[in-house]
Amino acid sequence: MAVRIGMMSFAHMHAYSYIHCVKQLEAEGKAQLVGIADDDPQRGQQVAQQYGTRFYNSYEALLNAGIDAVIVCPENIKHRPLTEMAAKAGKHVLCEKPLATTKADGRAMIEVCKANGVQLMTAFPCRFSPSYIRLKQMVESGELGEVLAIRGTNRGRNPGGWFTVPELSGGGAVIDHTVHVTDLCRDLLKSEVVEVYAEIGNGFCHGDFDDTGMLTLTFANDVFATLDSSWSRPKVFPTWGDVTLQVVGTKGLVYMDMFAQNSTLYDDRNMRITLEHWGSSIDYGLVSAFVESVATGKPVPITGEDGLAAAEVAFAAYESAKRGEPVRLPLPE
Amino acid sequence: MLRVGIVGVGTMGRTHASAYTKLPNARLIGFTDAIVDAARRVASQFGVQAFDSYEALLEQVDIVDICTPTPTHLELVLKAASAGKHILCEKPLGRTLQQCEQMIEAADRAGVTLMPAQVLRFFPEFKQARDLVLAGAVGTPAAIRTRRGGPYPRAANDWYADFEQSGGPILDMVIHDFDWLRWTFGEVERVFAKALTFKGLDHIDYALITLRLKSGAIAHVEANWADPGGFKVDFEIAGDAGMIAFDSRFAMPLTVAKQDAGGGGGGVAVPESPLAEDPYMLEIKHFVDSVQAGQPPSITAEDGMKAVEIALAAIESARTGKVIRLGGGA
Repeated sequence: MAVRIGMMSFAHMHAYSYIHCVKQLEAEGKAQLVGIADDDPQRGQQVAQQYGTRFYNSYEALLNAGIDAVIVCPENIKHRPLTEMAAKAGKHVLCEKPLATTKADGRAMIEVCKANGVQLMTAFPCRFSPSYIRLKQMVESGELGEVLAIRGTNRGRNPGGWFTVPELSGGGAVIDHTVHVTDLCRDLLKSEVVEVYAEIGNGFCHGDFDDTGMLTLTFANDVFATLDSSWSRPKVFPTWGDVTLQVVGTKGLVYMDMFAQNSTLYDDRNMRITLEHWGSSIDYGLVSAFVESVATGKPVPITGEDGLAAAEVAFAAYESAKRGEPVRLPLPE
Repeated sequence: MLRVGIVGVGTMGRTHASAYTKLPNARLIGFTDAIVDAARRVASQFGVQAFDSYEALLEQVDIVDICTPTPTHLELVLKAASAGKHILCEKPLGRTLQQCEQMIEAADRAGVTLMPAQVLRFFPEFKQARDLVLAGAVGTPAAIRTRRGGPYPRAANDWYADFEQSGGPILDMVIHDFDWLRWTFGEVERVFAKALTFKGLDHIDYALITLRLKSGAIAHVEANWADPGGFKVDFEIAGDAGMIAFDSRFAMPLTVAKQDAGGGGGGVAVPESPLAEDPYMLEIKHFVDSVQAGQPPSITAEDGMKAVEIALAAIESARTGKVIRLGGGA
């Protein structure tokens, strides 16, 4: 039977991609888009109209509309209250990253879902990238030998809006762009981050939020990694940004540029050069995996614990920059 | 006409030698090397003299060009200075800061020129990037990334693999990037680094270094002796009004692929990036012209020492796990 899905908030732009994926799954008979709710009614109504679905005036109304699961994409600080509402209503939750802006919030989200017998999945779509899956095969097969070091980037542009209001986002570029690559490293290494050092700056936008992050992570298995989480792409950059991972092993090195499957469009009318991506949709893999877990009851592939572990690295990065020295993990509860 | 002697007939010694032979105001006199036969072989290729001792070479020249493993630099520089010879010394200037200080003091006392061969300053892509940055092309730089490396280097006596001699890829290789970063963006405030250097691996080394500059910009430097896929260099300078990006993989105007002649190994595309003015040639020319004019060269021995200081701070950070702050103070 098709999994009945409600969408909670479109504050995060990834929601637009997720709803597209839900519609695709609907066409395949695997999901049903029941409706959406948003505390910005104008935005919510507009999206509902665009996707031919119903707009609910409140989150409560959506949760009472006979749905099985929700996709939660509000401002970062609202991940906890919306997840709590959904869990208490018995709905499974796919939550946008970063899972939470504090460790206490993340822990509470995991607990409330457990207590109400619903699954909590963190939206880390990069795990579903065919290039990443292939890279992981190379690591797991041992053809690269023992992994020694990783160099990662997840760079983009300042998205503006609430992303630059720390009271809503929990920070800036570092909270926004640390978690994807951190999650990939944890998934590859099967090891936890035990130390974080970070240089953080605001040299791109000169605002009251960070836009530059250069993190150094050390894992329990002694592998080290750096991660550039900066909003450093210029306005004229031909694409949104990147996710790259270079894995150095005793027997070889593999470099992944996750979104390199593009053709170049030279557009005279808009005086722009853009990279037109033709690689596989990673968001479809994410939403599809969530729907399958809800339908079958099998555990979600990326848990709330995974989401919190990655977010904790961002929290530690801010702490490290404040103290000017490396910070040990886990952070105090 | 300035008479030149070269110490060390490895790749760099031979590269420098070719440059001198093309200059109108310099004459290559000869070579000396710890391996006497090697010096003789290379000397005959260039049609110049092989000297059995450094002292004998010093007697015949105005300029000494030192292209030997790092720990030998100190003694060679001190002898050259006290003999009143001008010195071009390969990077890194010294293995320790103390060695660098001794060299600088000796050169000052003797009134001779001592230039560290930070040749990256003569590479057009790096020189142009600096010019663009200084002209404000990217606004105020905020995040800078550099990458350098490839397969583990092999040389006489495998000296690169002896950390006590070479200092590994941090001191031996990305000292190029440290010098260029300082030259382009100013002084370094603090350094944090992780490296494989002390893990006792067999011919694999790799380091990731984060620098906070006094300007506030953040730089990330990769030092790679763990990439069997060939030597690569890239950099990216992102500022508040734009970005400059260079990647050696995509700056190759020529790519040749040959039919396998039957011996195996054929069929691999080999890229080339030819230049009318070779960066090593420009470096040597600048040095010789400076000596001839009695002017200080644009790269000072202090610059060489500062680059060593950044590299040693990165090594210290990788060894201790601590943040290393430069210029004293904790």
